[in-house]
Amino acid sequence: MSGWDNIRSSTRSQQGRSHSLNQREPSRTVTLGRVQPQAPAFRTIYCNDRDANFAHRYRGNSVSTTKYNFFTFLPKGLYEQFRRVANLYFLMVSILSATPYSPVHPVTNVVPLSLVLLVSLIKEAFEDWKRFQNDMAINSTPVDVLQDQRWESIPWKKLQVGDIIRVKQDGFFPADMLLLASTNADGVCYIETANLDGETNLKIRKALERTWDYVTPEKACEFKGEVQCEQPNNSLYTFTGNLVIDNQTLPLSPNQILLRGCSLKNTEFVVGVVIFTGHETKVMMNSMNVPSKRSTLERKLDKLILTLFGTLFTMCLIGAIGSGVFIDRKYYFLGLSKSVEDQFNPNRRFLVVLLTMLTLLTLYSTIIPISLYVSIEMVKFIQSTQFINKDLNMYHAETDTPALARTSNLNEELGQVEYIFSDKTGTLTRNLMEFFKCTIGGEIYGTGMTEIERGVAERKGIKVQEVPTSINSVREKGFNFDDVRLMRGAWRNEPNPDACKEFFRCLAICHTVLPEGDESPEKIKYQAASPDEAALVLAAKHFGFFFYRRTPTMIYVRESHVERMGKIQDVSYEILNVLEFNSTRKRQSVVCRYPDGRLVLYCKGADTVIYERLVGGSDDLKKVTREHLEKFGSAGLRTLCLAYKDLAPDVYESWNEKFIQAKSSLRDRERKLDEVAELIEKDLILIGATAIEDKLQEGVPDCIETLSRAGIKMWVLTGDKMETAINIAYACNLLNNEMKQFIISSETDAIREVEERGDQVEIARFIKEEVKKQLKKCLDEAQQYFHSVSGPKLALIIDGKCLMYALDPSLRIMLLNLSLNCSSVVCCRVSPLQKAQVTSLVKKGARKITLSIGDGANDVSMIQAAHIGVGISGLEGMQAVMASDFAIAQFRFLKDLLLVHGRWSYIRLCKVVTYFFYKNLTFTLTQFWFTFYTGFSGQRFYDDWFQSLYNVIFTALPVIIVGLFDKDVSSSLSKRYPELYKEGIKNMFFKWRVVAIWAFFAVYQSLVFYYFVTVSSSTSQGSSGKMFGLWDVSTMAFTCVVVTVNLRLIMICNSITRWHYISVGGSIVAWFLFIFLYSGIMTPYDRQENIFWVIYVLMSTFYFYITLLLVPVAALLGDFLYLGVQRWFFPYDYQIVQEIHKDEADDSGRTDLLGIDNQLTPDEARSYALSQLPRELSKHTGFAFDSPGYESFFASQLGVYAPQKAWDVARRASMRSKPKPKPNKIN
Amino acid sequence: MDTDRERHRARETAFYLFTQQSLPACKPVLTPGWVIAIFLFMGVIFIPVGLVTLRASHCVVEIVDRYDIDCVPEPSRMDKVSYIQDDSIPKNCSRFMKVHKYMKAPIYIYYQLDNYYQNHRRYVKSRSDKQLLDGQKYHDTSSCQPVESNNNRPIVPCGLIAWSLFNDTFEFIREGAELKVNRKNIAWKSDRSHKFGKNVYPFNFQNGTLIGGGKLNPEIPLSDQEDLIVWMRTSALPSFRKLYGRIEEDLDVDDVVVVNLMNNYNTYSFGGKKKLALSTSSWLGGKNDFLGHACVFAGCSSLTLAIIFMLLHVKYRRPYGDMSYLPWNRKSFSG
Repeated sequence: MSGWDNIRSSTRSQQGRSHSLNQREPSRTVTLGRVQPQAPAFRTIYCNDRDANFAHRYRGNSVSTTKYNFFTFLPKGLYEQFRRVANLYFLMVSILSATPYSPVHPVTNVVPLSLVLLVSLIKEAFEDWKRFQNDMAINSTPVDVLQDQRWESIPWKKLQVGDIIRVKQDGFFPADMLLLASTNADGVCYIETANLDGETNLKIRKALERTWDYVTPEKACEFKGEVQCEQPNNSLYTFTGNLVIDNQTLPLSPNQILLRGCSLKNTEFVVGVVIFTGHETKVMMNSMNVPSKRSTLERKLDKLILTLFGTLFTMCLIGAIGSGVFIDRKYYFLGLSKSVEDQFNPNRRFLVVLLTMLTLLTLYSTIIPISLYVSIEMVKFIQSTQFINKDLNMYHAETDTPALARTSNLNEELGQVEYIFSDKTGTLTRNLMEFFKCTIGGEIYGTGMTEIERGVAERKGIKVQEVPTSINSVREKGFNFDDVRLMRGAWRNEPNPDACKEFFRCLAICHTVLPEGDESPEKIKYQAASPDEAALVLAAKHFGFFFYRRTPTMIYVRESHVERMGKIQDVSYEILNVLEFNSTRKRQSVVCRYPDGRLVLYCKGADTVIYERLVGGSDDLKKVTREHLEKFGSAGLRTLCLAYKDLAPDVYESWNEKFIQAKSSLRDRERKLDEVAELIEKDLILIGATAIEDKLQEGVPDCIETLSRAGIKMWVLTGDKMETAINIAYACNLLNNEMKQFIISSETDAIREVEERGDQVEIARFIKEEVKKQLKKCLDEAQQYFHSVSGPKLALIIDGKCLMYALDPSLRIMLLNLSLNCSSVVCCRVSPLQKAQVTSLVKKGARKITLSIGDGANDVSMIQAAHIGVGISGLEGMQAVMASDFAIAQFRFLKDLLLVHGRWSYIRLCKVVTYFFYKNLTFTLTQFWFTFYTGFSGQRFYDDWFQSLYNVIFTALPVIIVGLFDKDVSSSLSKRYPELYKEGIKNMFFKWRVVAIWAFFAVYQSLVFYYFVTVSSSTSQGSSGKMFGLWDVSTMAFTCVVVTVNLRLIMICNSITRWHYISVGGSIVAWFLFIFLYSGIMTPYDRQENIFWVIYVLMSTFYFYITLLLVPVAALLGDFLYLGVQRWFFPYDYQIVQEIHKDEADDSGRTDLLGIDNQLTPDEARSYALSQLPRELSKHTGFAFDSPGYESFFASQLGVYAPQKAWDVARRASMRSKPKPKPNKIN
Repeated sequence: MDTDRERHRARETAFYLFTQQSLPACKPVLTPGWVIAIFLFMGVIFIPVGLVTLRASHCVVEIVDRYDIDCVPEPSRMDKVSYIQDDSIPKNCSRFMKVHKYMKAPIYIYYQLDNYYQNHRRYVKSRSDKQLLDGQKYHDTSSCQPVESNNNRPIVPCGLIAWSLFNDTFEFIREGAELKVNRKNIAWKSDRSHKFGKNVYPFNFQNGTLIGGGKLNPEIPLSDQEDLIVWMRTSALPSFRKLYGRIEEDLDVDDVVVVNLMNNYNTYSFGGKKKLALSTSSWLGGKNDFLGHACVFAGCSSLTLAIIFMLLHVKYRRPYGDMSYLPWNRKSFSG
């Protein structure tokens, strides 16, 4: 509220100063993370007057999100490319190779570099083109603008500041605009801000009373006014400005502003004035460039590249020193006696060393795999656009949403995630509360089975058949209850009909819900602060107690079957007092007067608080109900106890006086109200309890279970109350009663006591001490469990306030140690900022790969803080998706995203990288060995074109094919054996050990290539007695290298498709085609004709064929031996799975083989059965009720104006004397 | 029409399989059976190939004679460099080579140089292929540094390689009769006909102050100067052989061949060796056991590995395709 006051006061102060606006100094508005310098502090907009506005040259409404335009593409694109070290390095080498020091022709380095650049630029251009098209589509969306007393349809981009426009129902606002008039009464309109903050509940905007009439075009064109308002800024929730009409200055507030990106709901149309356009709209100013994330694998790759640079330097140094030692006049055939250029001058050996260094640098440049980055990019691009985006297993048919990889940088990171941070509402749950079961007078009603019950049953091996729903069962969103015993008045025949009646009345009366729409059971809509409440009222409706109207003092209920079957009567209850819900009270009460004068207090709340206040006696009922509550709780349901109490008029009157006194007190009103409430909320009579299913998203428990088997730890970070959070954690298998739970809560008596004293410093110190104590205790205990062999799994539950102190640098380590030992962690009542803090605590502190998943604006910071951000797309708003790296429609798709795509991408990328490393090292080392035999002169072994095409043609394609198609196990097996994912978490395939093994074999192979070929060619070949020269030998060696390196690729493949054969065969064939052509022609171009006819000479000898057979085999023998031994004695997990399913056909139709338990060994099955035996204590009863205040909790964190509060709803009701039927076009 | 539609559907199916990543693939699993089989196969292939290669190499008779030191008269051996650089001293020398095995014609004569860096960068690039083909018509001889011109006139053939042409000569006498040496067709045909011009004659060659090696007869076109062509196909390693000619008569066992040679070429400066080699040739080429040995070795080690793996397979059979071998299952048993 205070934030709201600030805004208002600032408005007022501006108003006061409006006469002296010109003297105002330019102010700097500090907003979220950005400082906005503003030249003039305000802008003046002349409504409906394009000519007057023209002078200001406001920006148009067309929006461009492209990176380049036609002219900047080349310079900017190239600049971007050369920011990469590898490209810059190759540019330098290319320049170097144009100097006389180079042993190679510039073509050697220029060709690969330009090919790489070309591919990258084409990719950039393609992506930018798509962005451009997207912009075009948005910019040409039509909107109605007022021109000549008519609504003309023009595209968005033509819109200008000051235009008066009309937006129809469900339409999006094309720019930030000032609401003038609405077709709804009182100038009210409803907007959905899902695109901005992810909240789907409708917000109300209200026009100034002065402008209500400008609805029709005729009227609207008469509107002349000036808007003086702040300069464009990125603060979504503030706006200051004035509207000047007829010399009258009216203050404007955010309440009159409709932001671009929002859409109009429940209103036929609105009329407004455009104030900010295009890039100056608040939503566009908010879309800052998200810092691009780099995957850990890529960062490790950088280290590898650095190591390669080190190796390169060492090689060059060795060669250069050798050349300094070698060079000598005695080799007269080198012509060193006369004046010699510096590079070979024996008198200046040091210079020789330096220059040879440069020479060798260009010669060995191939050790840095130039095409690596572009290949990786290409592979990842196809992986994300073709595989992830088009995977039917991640396609949500209901909302028509496929998965979306918004960045292709992080594909392989998905294969290494160890921690998942999940939001609750909207991610794990659908935020859809459904009345599911209830217990009345010791009798359970409701036949449904929750997903968690089903899961438990399935694990026990019980076959669950779908309970046939009775034919006449009613289903509505929010009501999923099926039991004929209560429906259609059948409750009258139940053992305890009076309890039933009180139960239903309690549901229908004790709430703060507001009905909207038609007063018929079919069309009515309930507006509630929390969806639980709406579900309860809805349930009452279905039980025949239809709450249809609320006035400030009355509640009207249409009751059926009360007096006799089939009788329907409208009953009005006078509401005398509402004792509101809050988190300390955990209950809500209503005192009402029946038409017959009976005074009743209805109360609903957490079982703990209700049981404390029950009247003595009827212990059986209490016991049975408690058992039921526990049963509901362990089924993942949210429970509320209902109770009532008849009041005597005199008791009530005396209490009411105290109540009124408390209500009007100015100091400590809340506390006093609570105290007064205590006086009357006692000696209650228990009626029963409700059980609401917080509907989980489909497949969540199964997904979480699978992910936890994959070694991924799940943290739930939620703004909800602890009880709610624990409940959901139970429902989705994160917690169970076998776990040791550590609860660190600020809701202890000790803390509350200190808080009541009100000394902020003291509170902080005390809570910190307390948190420290608790953390220490938990940590000690945890370590005890951790050291014992078969201890229970651990879970940590901590609330936001404690977390705030636990995140303090001094306690951080302890928190981290504790939480890393826990298999699941639940953080409740955390702010968006804390979500991000926790995420980065694990990310930085534990150096583990983290993934955040969420759906709303409050998850954005968390999504951006984690290594990988995943947004839930489809239903809710766009904010989370816009900040995310991947968007999926359902939480359960995480399984596919991580276990299938992530794992594959990771393994593929590892293969691509290590293979690249190997092939370039092998190739370069043969050069290196040759250097020793050339007097360290830096003579090249291979022809220029061989060297330049080696990376881009002869070995390029197969490795990309591996990056796309390699599959160790099929997708269904990946999901069936989630444990395989652990190999990624441990980074098994890109350890230094793996790289070292590749390096070892690269050295071995290069030695084989070099020595086998040179030694075997030292005598004459063929029967003609003629000798081979340098180029014959090198062509032979190169042929062996190309063949071997390509064959080696086949050896790393786990599955070989047609494309593998084509690409590997194609690469080898490409080499032969090339060399046939290249050595077959003499060019008029001035160059040395070294290679002329070489291949034909070679192929005329038997030597060629025997060598071509021997050398690759000899080179690969070592690798093959290694592979055989490795698989035999130290198999990877995936290899065992491969062997198990060796003979199975490939992916039988990709149907989900979710059977987790059919593969259990008998021993396992028994141990599982043992673990599933019923335990004695099951403390969990499942109380949960979203406090109406929790939204404002976020709001105050963000400085957000949050109008939706329970009492607001009630107040709104009281202001409307008679709810008039609204034109509601939705239904 | 129908085929069109079918093709379209086939393409769609292929694309579907591609995006769903379920392209038909063969999945090789390297089971012990496969490992053993492949090693066995390698052994079976390479041992015969190696034996055949070795046999070919063994058929070749080769006589090698190092003559660089022995051909320097005893008194000059202290300072071989000044001996070789002194033109006034006659450089002829006689060597005796005994044939230890019947040699069938053609017998190839090679000279072999050691520690001679024909593959040095400065050396390799010091030539002009254009000039060799076009002669004086081609003026740009900058690539021939530092032997590109003399007295402001271009040298043909230019460059260090040609300049340092080997110029020892050999004559062979058996039982008093001179053995005819065929010095034609000693260079690769592709070099002769495409790289060295038929109308290009040596010009201004070895006229400078520094004379490196052999001179060329200016009357004979480069395409017929086969010594030069052979020399200019630079060798891969600093120790190399080059073909000098062919004796086209058989040599019998215990024949003694007298070699009268002119020891002109200076290898003494840099301590290089000079050798003369007489060798017959097989279908595979000259005497070189390396390939054969390598093949036999590869084959034998494959066989050995196959046997070792087989023994291992019998003795310590690893449970293949066993669920309990999975680490997470193993852990659950131990724990």
